[in-house]
Amino acid sequence: MTITADGVQAGTTHERKLRDLDDESFFERFACDRYTATVLANRFNYILEHVSTRLLTGAFSPMLRDLYDFGATITGPRELDYPTPVVGKGLLLFTGTMTESIKNSVEEYGVDRLRPGDVLIANDPYRTGTHVNDVLFIRPVFDGSRVVGYTTIKAHQLDIGGSVPGGFSVTKTSVYENGLVMSPRLLVRDGDIVPETWSLIMDNARFGELLGADIQTIISCLDLGAGLLQASVEHYGADAVLGTMQYIVDADAERMTEALERLPDGDYTGEGLLDADGSSADEEFPIRVTLRKRGGHLEVDLSDTSRQARTSINATALDAKTAIGVALKFLLDPDNNFTSGLYRCIDIALPDASIISAFPPEGVVFTYGEPTNVILTSMMRALAAPLGELALAGDFGSPNMHTGFGQHESGRPWVSTGVGGGEHGPWGATRVGDADSFMLFMQVNGLAIPIESSEADAPLAVLRREYLTDTAGAGYNRGGASVQKDTKWLAPAGHNPLTLRLKEETGFGANGGEDGVRPAVWLWPDGDQSGGYGTATRVAGVFNDETGERDANGTYEWFGREKTWAADAGAVFRYITGSGGGWGDARTREPQRVLRDVRDGYVSIEGARTTYGVVISGDPEWDPEGLVLDEAATAELRGNN
Amino acid sequence: MFGVDVGGTFTDVVAIKDGKAQVTKVPSTPHQPELAVLEGAKRLGVEGSPLFNHASTKGLNAVLTRSLPKVAFMTTDGHRDMLDAGRGWRPFDGMLNPHWRRPFGDASGRPLVPRYLRRGVIERVLASGEVLTPLDEDNVRRHLALLKRCDIDALAVCTINSYVNPVHEFRIKELAEEVLGDIPISISYETVPRAKEYARASTTVIDAMMKLMYADYASSLSDGLKDLGFDGDLNFADCTASLLPWDEALRHPYRIIFAGPAAGAASCVQLGKAVEAPDLICCDVGGTSTDVTLIRDGATFTNESFDLEFDLAVNALSTDVSSVGAGGGSIISVTSTGDIKVGPESAGSDPGPACYGRGGTVPTVTDACALMGILDPNDFAGGQMQLDLDAARKAFESLDTPLSFDQRIRYAYRIAVHNIAEEVANVAIARDADPHNFSLVAYGSAGPMLIAPALEILDVKSIIVPPNPGLFSALGLLSTDMVYGDSRSVYLPIAPDSAGQLNEIFEALEAPLVAKLPAGVTPTVKRTMDGRLFGQSWETPFVDVPNGTIDESTIPTLVANFHEEYERRNGLAFPQIPVQGVTYRVQVFVPMQRFEYTPAPDTTPAEPSPTGYRTIHYLREASVDAPTYDRATLDRGAKVIGPAIIEEELCTTLVMQGQLATVGAFGEIHLTELEKGPGK
Repeated sequence: MTITADGVQAGTTHERKLRDLDDESFFERFACDRYTATVLANRFNYILEHVSTRLLTGAFSPMLRDLYDFGATITGPRELDYPTPVVGKGLLLFTGTMTESIKNSVEEYGVDRLRPGDVLIANDPYRTGTHVNDVLFIRPVFDGSRVVGYTTIKAHQLDIGGSVPGGFSVTKTSVYENGLVMSPRLLVRDGDIVPETWSLIMDNARFGELLGADIQTIISCLDLGAGLLQASVEHYGADAVLGTMQYIVDADAERMTEALERLPDGDYTGEGLLDADGSSADEEFPIRVTLRKRGGHLEVDLSDTSRQARTSINATALDAKTAIGVALKFLLDPDNNFTSGLYRCIDIALPDASIISAFPPEGVVFTYGEPTNVILTSMMRALAAPLGELALAGDFGSPNMHTGFGQHESGRPWVSTGVGGGEHGPWGATRVGDADSFMLFMQVNGLAIPIESSEADAPLAVLRREYLTDTAGAGYNRGGASVQKDTKWLAPAGHNPLTLRLKEETGFGANGGEDGVRPAVWLWPDGDQSGGYGTATRVAGVFNDETGERDANGTYEWFGREKTWAADAGAVFRYITGSGGGWGDARTREPQRVLRDVRDGYVSIEGARTTYGVVISGDPEWDPEGLVLDEAATAELRGNN
Repeated sequence: MFGVDVGGTFTDVVAIKDGKAQVTKVPSTPHQPELAVLEGAKRLGVEGSPLFNHASTKGLNAVLTRSLPKVAFMTTDGHRDMLDAGRGWRPFDGMLNPHWRRPFGDASGRPLVPRYLRRGVIERVLASGEVLTPLDEDNVRRHLALLKRCDIDALAVCTINSYVNPVHEFRIKELAEEVLGDIPISISYETVPRAKEYARASTTVIDAMMKLMYADYASSLSDGLKDLGFDGDLNFADCTASLLPWDEALRHPYRIIFAGPAAGAASCVQLGKAVEAPDLICCDVGGTSTDVTLIRDGATFTNESFDLEFDLAVNALSTDVSSVGAGGGSIISVTSTGDIKVGPESAGSDPGPACYGRGGTVPTVTDACALMGILDPNDFAGGQMQLDLDAARKAFESLDTPLSFDQRIRYAYRIAVHNIAEEVANVAIARDADPHNFSLVAYGSAGPMLIAPALEILDVKSIIVPPNPGLFSALGLLSTDMVYGDSRSVYLPIAPDSAGQLNEIFEALEAPLVAKLPAGVTPTVKRTMDGRLFGQSWETPFVDVPNGTIDESTIPTLVANFHEEYERRNGLAFPQIPVQGVTYRVQVFVPMQRFEYTPAPDTTPAEPSPTGYRTIHYLREASVDAPTYDRATLDRGAKVIGPAIIEEELCTTLVMQGQLATVGAFGEIHLTELEKGPGK
């Protein structure tokens, strides 16, 4: 598939830079003056802030409230080719899908059939991106009979039917077990719920009461947003509102073009790997990107990427588009908001029926963030050389999500998701400084579940959630450290580890920085850790055959070899996340910063000497303030290497 | 009685004598804030005053600048990195920015407690309260000996699940007192025994730090006031502007870390009572930012925690205030595409706006106001300062943009107002409030010069500019009650079986609070609960709990109260889902002597007489001559038609063309649109 829709007025080039436009030519192009454009652009952001705030305050679902698992936009009308000038306070994962998802839905339904007070919905990933749980809600805004734009929300629903409650699974093999698929249709007509659509959802999805409440909240958020946009249209006129939408995406397109022009022309490649899908360990899924950069134009060619997986770890073309846009923003324009204008100078080539452009019915899509995070990091790898100091190191790569479930003594079921795995981990270093060690992976964001809340909700004890010494990718700025999490399950339980990226160091170094380490998962079935890794079950990772420790040259163990990992009360699972890559030459890191890292346990005395060339003596654990930095020996060691 | 609000630039002092407010502004003395406070007390004569109520930013500034004492953190083995991890999230504005760092993380180089002073000790308590691993006292002693060698100033202790069973925390405290001697020690169970380890730990660390910061401060302040002849009560305001006797405040001083904005809101509540406007939006425009607070039915909203910096959580009850980076010192810049941008960076007080003539070269909102003619260059800040218009002009000329000079200033001024107005709208919408039913109170020294155009943008009833807008917040310190409070967490289903336990919890919380009160005081006791629907990860705070014995018959009321509060906050209810209690709270209110507004006599006002005329430029396409008035000469009922400028010692109020300014019974100015008329 080739994506060509790249924002407004694709292919149009303007000779004059926006900043050089005088009043007259600015007005001619955008039907308003600069002041109005600034005020309206600000207003658009606030409208979506209001919409997001109301959604976050009103939603029942923790997926929305704590994990921001939604996207919201003000979207331009057909006459502007459905641009996304502004996105709400949701996840990056949604951003790049929004232009086509709204365009596809509105065009298929028929823009002429829409009326004020309608809400159109759709959730087919192959039309709208992301996954079936993400239902897209579109509210048109009219000026008389003219559609001047849309306020939209695409929000993760707690359930949408299918074989797995909640949907999170990497073993679904076709769309028929994935959940309800809705082609574009009306949910609200002239302000009233369309009963047959409502019932369709309620008859297919679990937790109907909660779902229904959240859908009502979403409709009220869209009404709010539409009302505010309508007020702007009435106050400033439709032409100024549309002109401002155009201006925002044009400005973003111009910034991206200028950023690309600053890069040397060339072809750049990067790649990354998903180890296996949920059906067997016999096939790897590499994702390879070639970037062809010429002047202010970039071709992103993912043709050499593997075929689609047999289970639900695939992504759609629109998700690939998102990851590409996010990568370019990260690398080239991190200070400005996302708009669809950034794609204007980008062409994207994706192989059909691939893991990043899956086709129905077999190319089932659920954990689409896993392959698209590989796209993001592959782009970061590809541009590391031409960017030099501007390059970014890799993160821990994958959320390594763990789900444990069982029954309380009363017979009431319990489930604990996103607590006992490697959900939070480190990012990579950049020119600005060292990296944090406790984040969600790069395209998502949200609140970590407090340990005490998770323990109040389910029979478990997180014994340890701590950073590991000598794991952070070394560099002038170091990456974040691996997180070690040991979780004791206090009741007999089933466990589903979901670990797709254990065969490579996802936290690659940049600008001469060093790579981080790999993740892995172990289990002590009786909870007795005194025998170390020798007595542990190797759940997932690449292990030394003798010691059971991580070993790049060891044997790969596939998470899916047990359909569910059953364990008795007292069992302890250990997740060690991958670590973040370093930035810059480790041997140029100021010895005082290395001393601080040794004092703080991020680096050992041995690591300081061998990796950083800094000679320190003393006892970091029990006499941290008594450490001695040997400057002469350090100079000699660094000089001799 | 005295109210003192210490700000970054000025320390505001208000004294009420014979029902009349006297005010003074003293330049703040950040390194020894008590000096400015005492200077203010001296200027207005504190001798014989019964009350001295104080809002301090000393602790907040110390945290923001990391000028902090050396505090160690002790927790359960394996969990010392909770202080680095925070809640694990990023701000929306940082989502596309891979260079964003947690501002208090180890990677930022600015942790409150460096990692080597975060010590995990061998022990573990389960969520049930059962001990999984007993406290290893030898291990604790070994860590304490190390901390002793490191010569720490204070210790904070927060172990996992201590909110359920604090036995290990208490024992650690005993051992620490043995080993470390007489240094401040805060343990989380005594500080804020609420579930969710990170915020509890972070609060406990802040508490230990504040004990050090405030102990000396309070005693030198108290001594200094005594020297000035003061023998009344010294109180500190907490983050809801409620008052605490200073020795009580020092027991857990994390509660008093950020009182200024709450004091402003409390002042609005008091003003609202006087002018019979129970629904207000407070808008405090300062040098770097604007704080916005909503008042509905005469009350502010209270949160159960707030962040000092992004995600740097403090579990203190606090008035709900939201902030936007637009104020008098906000810097005007140009985007890459040639557009004017206002803030969020600020020129601060040093060098400050270019027109201050202290070497500032970048234009600010205040520079725009000076060039527009809103501010009198020859009589700024009560005549304390002469404005340098040339410097302001040069600063605007230096902007790299195709916009004309006129446009730069007009756009900058208007965009600044827009940014403030949008934040006001945001606060209203978040609370489901229709601004149409609210009046906007504009205060802070920059508020009245900026707020007038907001009347066009926002559909509010009116804009109210209170008397002494620059010192309005300090007045709020004379407008609240004294409140003693305590809380604790237990996850309990709100069901008949739990009634006995709930009763015990509330009685155990309430008795010591009531025992603290001076004899003869009749307090108002208020019980609340933070609860959640089963399956939710967050709590709905401040659910009313009936006073007296809680038994099975109380439970339905409690459940109904929860659903009612849930619906009030979120617009929806889920009565079919069972409720779980999480945190239980008792507050004991003791009424205090307050400042009361007294109306001016309702006589026929003298016709306002201008003190002169000033040309206002750039506000619209054409310049316009506006009469200037001395606010002190405007009687109750006086009406001034815009364009006009109303001046007072430390503030300037702009009235735009098409607007009417009416002086109210308490000296407040009501701005309305002429065509609508006042109060319509």
